[in-house]
Formats: sequence, C-alpha cells, structure tokens
Amino acid sequence: MKRDAIVAIFFLLAFLFVSYAVTVKNVLGLGEAELRPLGEFYLSHSFAHEGLTSHSPEVVTAIVWNYRGFDTLFETFVFFLAIMGALSVLRLTEEQAKIVREIEGREPHRRMDIIVRATTKLVVIMIVSISASIALHGHITPGGGFQGGSAMAVAALLLFAAFSKFTLERKGLTLGHTMSAYAIGLALIMVTVLAPLFLYGGKILEINLLPGEMGLFNLDVGEYTAVTFGFLTVFLILGIPEWIFKNVLRREMND
Amino acid sequence: MISFLLAYITLTLFAMMFLGIYGVATRSNLIKKIIMLNIMGDAINMLFILIGYRLVFPVFPPIYEKHITFREFLSRAVDPVPQALVLTAVVIGMAMNILLTTYAIQFYRLHGTVDARDMAEILRGEDG
Repeated sequence: MKRDAIVAIFFLLAFLFVSYAVTVKNVLGLGEAELRPLGEFYLSHSFAHEGLTSHSPEVVTAIVWNYRGFDTLFETFVFFLAIMGALSVLRLTEEQAKIVREIEGREPHRRMDIIVRATTKLVVIMIVSISASIALHGHITPGGGFQGGSAMAVAALLLFAAFSKFTLERKGLTLGHTMSAYAIGLALIMVTVLAPLFLYGGKILEINLLPGEMGLFNLDVGEYTAVTFGFLTVFLILGIPEWIFKNVLRREMND
Repeated sequence: MISFLLAYITLTLFAMMFLGIYGVATRSNLIKKIIMLNIMGDAINMLFILIGYRLVFPVFPPIYEKHITFREFLSRAVDPVPQALVLTAVVIGMAMNILLTTYAIQFYRLHGTVDARDMAEILRGEDG
C-alpha cells in the first residue's frame, strides 16, 4: 500500500509538470491557426502532381497507401502476426477439434428473444452497409479499409451476442471459411503491391502506375476483407465456451 | 474561451494517460492491466488527433474538392499527418489487444488464475 502511494504521488507530480508544459508553455502547439510545414506539404502535393501520386483527393488515404505505403504494408503483416499468434496459442489438435465439434453439435439451439433478434438484424444490416461504403469509397471520402474492417468486426460481435456462435457456424461461418476469406484479402493486397513490378516495370508498391484509382481501390478492398475476417477468425476461436474448452484440455491432461 | 476548452480537453487526456500507466504499474490482475493499457492507448490517439486540429473557422477535412480553390483548401484543411498515424495505430492496438487477451485467457484455462503474482510463482514452480 505504501509503495502504491509513492507511485501515485510520483505520477501526480509528472502530471503537474506535463500540464504546466502544455498549458503555459504550449509545447504541443495546440490551437494554432497555422499548419505545420509537413502537413502543408502533404496537403499541397497529394493531388497536385498528376501521375506521380495515387490520384486520391483524400489526403489521409494518399499518405497511408502512397507516401507511407511500406509502413502500412508492414503493419498489415504485424496484424497478420498478431492473429497468427492468437491462433497458435488457442490451437486445438485434430482430435480435440473433433471433440469440440461433437459437444457443440449437442448444444441446444439457444438464442435471445425476438425483440433483441429483430433489432440486431436491422442494426447489423445497417452496420454492414455503412462499413462497405466506408471501405469502398475510401479513396474519395473519409474512410478506408482499416476503418471499414473495424466497423464490420463490430457487426460480427453483435451477431455473436444475439444469435450465439453455434447458429452462425451452422449457417456456414466456420473457421475454415473465415480463414480462407482472410487469405483472399491478403492475396489481393500482395497482387496489387506486386502488380507494378511485373506489369508496368516499376518498383514495388508504385500504385500510381496502375490505371486510374484501381490501386487504391484494390488495396482498400483487400484491407477491408483482411481486417474483417482476421477479427472474425479470432472471435470464432475465442467464442468457444469456457466449459467445453476446459473439458477438452483436462481430458488431455488426464491421458 | 476556446483556448480554455482546448487546455481542458488536453489535460483530461493527459490525466487519462497517467491513470493508464498507474493502473498498469500497480494492479496485479492481468485483465485490469489490459483495460488500463487500452485507456492509455485511446487517450494517446485522441491527443494525436487534437494536435492535428486547426483553430480556424470553418475548418475542412483533408479532402480536396472541386468547388473550393486550392488556396482556400490549404488555409482551411486540418493536418492529415496525425490522422494517418492514428488510423493504423488503432488497428494495431486492437490486434495487440487480441493477442494479450488470448494469452490471458489461455493462462486462466490452464492454471486458473490471471494474477501476475500467482503467475510468477506458478512459472517458478514449473522451472524447479
């Protein structure tokens, strides 16, 4: 307890120092009418130089996939690694997966009452269409693949809560399907990134060589699919009920 | 007035940030640690967006449109760089979250605890 108090006082002092620096000295440059030179450079160059940049009037998308393309590409792989890490920790052997499937098949058809189900259906349809519009218009309006994918993951979570995971799995949303969709999204990104190299004789990720807005559109759609189904894959595995999982793990320990 | 509001929001975000660090440092429950880490990350992201804000009226999003002149666009649009940074940071934060939650859940399933002190003892016992 004494150590906690010392830590708390130390943090309070640090907070006072930071608040002095921010409010009195204004070290962050908050609330200024002038733009930073770097931001002004991006604003004035993202659309002005036809042919050199990715034809996007939306400066954020232009930065994310054009000026800073490699960063975004490798962040996609960081995401991939995180999901692969989660999958490998929660991995079941083939026998265990068979047992889990057996127990889940015997589960009764549980779901919430009709008001929750009807509302969830309406809301999910709205969220899915909004997320699709965010992702597919990402190069013209605010938005992009990442944001659309995150919105779509929320819709999936709502479905999980209202209809239970078993209903979704019986309708065909199994682990194999979501993982294949995730792989398709990643493949679309890789094809778009490598296309300038093989088709137009450019460098890797030089998407301004592709005709029109095709490069940005493909990358947005690929990112949308990848983020959506990456999250769904992990949700499906995390959604296995606790008692089933413990049962399976214990049975292995007893052997 | 507007500078007072900006300072108020900024200080709230900084307070949230320090609260997050404090929680990560002092709580021993892993789930609480993860929640505090999330609070800290969200506060930092909000702070980034606030840094990119520009005190002009009316202020535009950084999207070039045909019906405004280029000079007006430059003098009105907000800074796009922090937005582009936060955009990817949010998704990576969510991925990191998934990984941490997965580890915590798996540890709970195997050993029946998510307390960091118990965890250290269990791991020490397995080594010896």
